[in-house]
Amino acid sequence: MIAAIDDAVLDELRAIIGDDDRVLDNVSSRAMRTRVPAPFPVHRWAQHMPDVAVLPVSAEEVSEVVKLANRLKVPIVPRAGGTGLADGAVPLRGGILVDVKLMNRIHEIDLVDRTVTVGPGINMLKLNERLRPHGVFYPDDPASYPCSLVGGRIGTGGWSLLGARYGHTRDLVISMEVVLPTGEIVQIGEGGGTKLRKSSTGLTLKHLFTGHQGTLGICTRATLELVPRPETEFAAFFAFRDYMEAWRTTGALTTSGLATLAGVVLFDEWKLRYLRRDDEAYIPQPQDVRAVIAVAMYGRRAEVEPASRIVMELGRADGGRYLGDEISQGDWASRHDRYATPLHGRTLDGQAVPMSWHCEDAALNYSVLPQVREEWHAIVDRYIREYGIFDDWGMFAYTNGAYKPWGDYLVEIDVGIWEQRLDDANWEAWVRCKREIAEVSLKYGGSITACHGATREGDAELVPTEMGASWAVVKRIKRALDPNNVMNPGKQMLDEAYE
Amino acid sequence: MSIFRLGDQRPPEPRRINDDVVMRFDHVYEVDPAKMQVFPQQDLPAWDTERIVAARWDHLAWMHDHFADEVLSTGLESETMPEEDG
Repeated sequence: MIAAIDDAVLDELRAIIGDDDRVLDNVSSRAMRTRVPAPFPVHRWAQHMPDVAVLPVSAEEVSEVVKLANRLKVPIVPRAGGTGLADGAVPLRGGILVDVKLMNRIHEIDLVDRTVTVGPGINMLKLNERLRPHGVFYPDDPASYPCSLVGGRIGTGGWSLLGARYGHTRDLVISMEVVLPTGEIVQIGEGGGTKLRKSSTGLTLKHLFTGHQGTLGICTRATLELVPRPETEFAAFFAFRDYMEAWRTTGALTTSGLATLAGVVLFDEWKLRYLRRDDEAYIPQPQDVRAVIAVAMYGRRAEVEPASRIVMELGRADGGRYLGDEISQGDWASRHDRYATPLHGRTLDGQAVPMSWHCEDAALNYSVLPQVREEWHAIVDRYIREYGIFDDWGMFAYTNGAYKPWGDYLVEIDVGIWEQRLDDANWEAWVRCKREIAEVSLKYGGSITACHGATREGDAELVPTEMGASWAVVKRIKRALDPNNVMNPGKQMLDEAYE
Repeated sequence: MSIFRLGDQRPPEPRRINDDVVMRFDHVYEVDPAKMQVFPQQDLPAWDTERIVAARWDHLAWMHDHFADEVLSTGLESETMPEEDG
């Protein structure tokens, strides 16, 4: 049973927050905290708006707001940058949206024990600007680097471009303060320490509270890893005439044992076709460029320089051709900020139209990449021809293991969707397409999401299947921590915990 | 004193690069206007196109500097095509 947000509730929220400017119930404030950049059912925008948005500045305020929501059984949805590529931060049932953007302070920089403690509303780019004079770096580097926030990265269990070298979000969070769905404020880390990287005391709860998609609590403070600021960056892009040559070379590079390897990315034929239409680096490339590998390394010059020579050798050992310094360096730099790219796709007759970006983010093993690629493109091609509002923007495979660049990959098929043409029928078609893509991932022993979260139609209904027998454990945990199902309800099929 | 006139800032006539792409300024690729019938291309003065392109290079240089003290180059040209197509 969901209670309505009435004037009495708003009065209670204003009393908790103590500042009417941070309790927002006007339409524009709610509408702008509704969608995320992923393709969105714009024709049903109003169904996803929160009833009120609050902007707390302390854990105590968050706690009191959550206690109110739990008492009244009102949905509560945490939101940081709102840059996610699934619906973790999208309200499905109205309620109170907790926007953490004002909790953006740096509480402590500890150069002795190598940590920085921040609020969840700080952005990594701004954080690193403040860290730079100290010679240290927080290396969480999503494609939304200039605009996503630490709290969202923790909530969604983010993946980093540099993860093979420095780890992903969950590896970089040492501890955090969390407001549970019942309002208690707890410290989550390794054992009882706030700055410890490993403990065997009690249960390891940290991973439970990273990547829960806002369903288990709200992070109000995080202590993060600091690494030495990289002295040297090296990026190299190699072109191939054949996907399988590129796939083999990816395997060789990722098992090279080079410790400074931060990431290897494999672009397929469909991606090259897309780039050849619209990307200045690839438009002039000859037609026999059908696959590309990107390699990036970070570290001390004494490490990176000799390693770069090995990369150049491996990258060209099996048909690879170097794309040159300008493209390699420029393309790599642009990957920190894919959200600055105005997106457009093509209709069936080749017309350029604005499209939003669906970015499938399966986790898949290296061995299955060639076959998954064929099946995914066949699915998307069928929907393109039938509906005329989709476009295949090709496929990437990024190294996915923390500190270990081999074995499995974050695998994207990028699909453009002409949102202005969405209606119920077209949206349902997209959901079916999405589900078919995800089912292929499961068929090949993969996971439907490496980093965005299974929080939207087409993904969410497959979560119990993917989790198998452990789904019962997940449901028990959810129900134990959130007895009234107020924390981001409707996500990841967790409503089943209450059946 | 200079007076800005949009007419003085008209970009040069496009030349075709391939079936999808035209070029009016060196190294600035544009979607073929024939492929922009649903959403026509904005009418940009030449200076604005140049500003956007320059800002893009500034942005990439800023990103390099943000992530590391130096960028290591190989000194090698592209092995698929000349860097300059001019």
